[in-house]
Amino acid sequence: MENIEKLIASFSEAEVRIFSFGQFKIEHKEFEIPDQWGRDKAMQLFQFFIISRNRHALHKEQIIERLWEENGTDQDFKVALHGINKALEPNKEARAKAKFVVRQGAAYKLNMEYIWLDSEKMEDFIAIGNKNVKSNKEIAIVAYQAAVDLYKGSFLPNRIFEDWTTTERERLQILALDAFLNLAEVLLEEQPSESLRLSEAALNIDNAWEEAYRIQMVAHMINGNRVQAIRAYQRCKEVLEKEFSLEPLPATNQLYRSLLS
Amino acid sequence: MSNSDQTASFLLRFTQKIFEDEKGESNVQWRGKVSHVQGNDVKNFSELKDAMQFIQEKLSALTLSSIEADDSIEDKEGLLNKSLDIWKRLAKNYPKMVVDVIKDPKAQVSQIQEQLTSKAEEISSKLDLNALKPPSKSDINILSEQISSLTKLVHSLEDKIGALTAKK
Repeated sequence: MENIEKLIASFSEAEVRIFSFGQFKIEHKEFEIPDQWGRDKAMQLFQFFIISRNRHALHKEQIIERLWEENGTDQDFKVALHGINKALEPNKEARAKAKFVVRQGAAYKLNMEYIWLDSEKMEDFIAIGNKNVKSNKEIAIVAYQAAVDLYKGSFLPNRIFEDWTTTERERLQILALDAFLNLAEVLLEEQPSESLRLSEAALNIDNAWEEAYRIQMVAHMINGNRVQAIRAYQRCKEVLEKEFSLEPLPATNQLYRSLLS
Repeated sequence: MSNSDQTASFLLRFTQKIFEDEKGESNVQWRGKVSHVQGNDVKNFSELKDAMQFIQEKLSALTLSSIEADDSIEDKEGLLNKSLDIWKRLAKNYPKMVVDVIKDPKAQVSQIQEQLTSKAEEISSKLDLNALKPPSKSDINILSEQISSLTKLVHSLEDKIGALTAKK
């Protein structure tokens, strides 16, 4: 539980907080950061640093090639970087070192020491949940709950047409789906209605995720609602037929047959 | 004519389902999802040819939208010819890839396993590769249908170029 408490505390301790799910928003502990940063490229560059935070510092040329493609210049990069520093450190002196985007020679990197990032914390909570799901159900529930609370929607939704965001969005979506369904499964016996809500949230992310329908079937049965359990199966069958031209897996069919007997 | 570069990005997701069928035999099923990034469009598939068809449709639309109204017939023909060449190469290589999968499923499964996440690796380590069956008649029929479908698509593109040449 200590690790969870540390993670929760990191929110209030951070100088800058970044919200990337559902909408993009940045908060500073001491002042308000505007939603618009002059040129959009400054915000794009900052979001690119967020996605690349776990890699080695990126060379300026690599960044220009990725974000501006063939038309970018050093000047474009400098202007965008200045836009970031102006938004995050408005009182920084001209020649002082930047605190959040640090330079290593000709390479640049985000300094996460002062930054709280929702997607990163979601991953940390999920890791704790996965580690404890068999050995300590209570901790797993708290961790998964914290993780799903952070997932407010698609990662950087204002950049869905930019291919440099796609891999990270997909990776986080799969992690979130697993967290929703793991929590739904752990809560089945004690809180079947909450399991229904969580599995429905997973289906809103991906309506062909078969495991979510199985959880719904069981949750309805625990609630004593056989009709709704059968409807969940029928919905699953229809979606799989429409999306993949496939039958449900034997485990789902077997569960359905047990509902009828 | 227009020289502007355009990019189409596609993301492929595969989900592996390992299950026992009614007879108690182990089976593997792959469910896929292909996303066209710039169009924010998605298609689920269980057959790779459906993903290829989706990609082809998006690329064809991109090529057609790139041919400006004031381009000459020669320019249009050149662009379509180049686009056709790409699909001819794909039509030539894609069936081979499917044949490789059917001929040597162990090698293909091993390759995929290397790319899976730790969770998928944990599941796939339970898979008995020796239990995989050799190609059945139905596998070969599916392959034939896929080759036939791609051949039709290539013919269709050839017809379009023929029509343009006739107009010229």
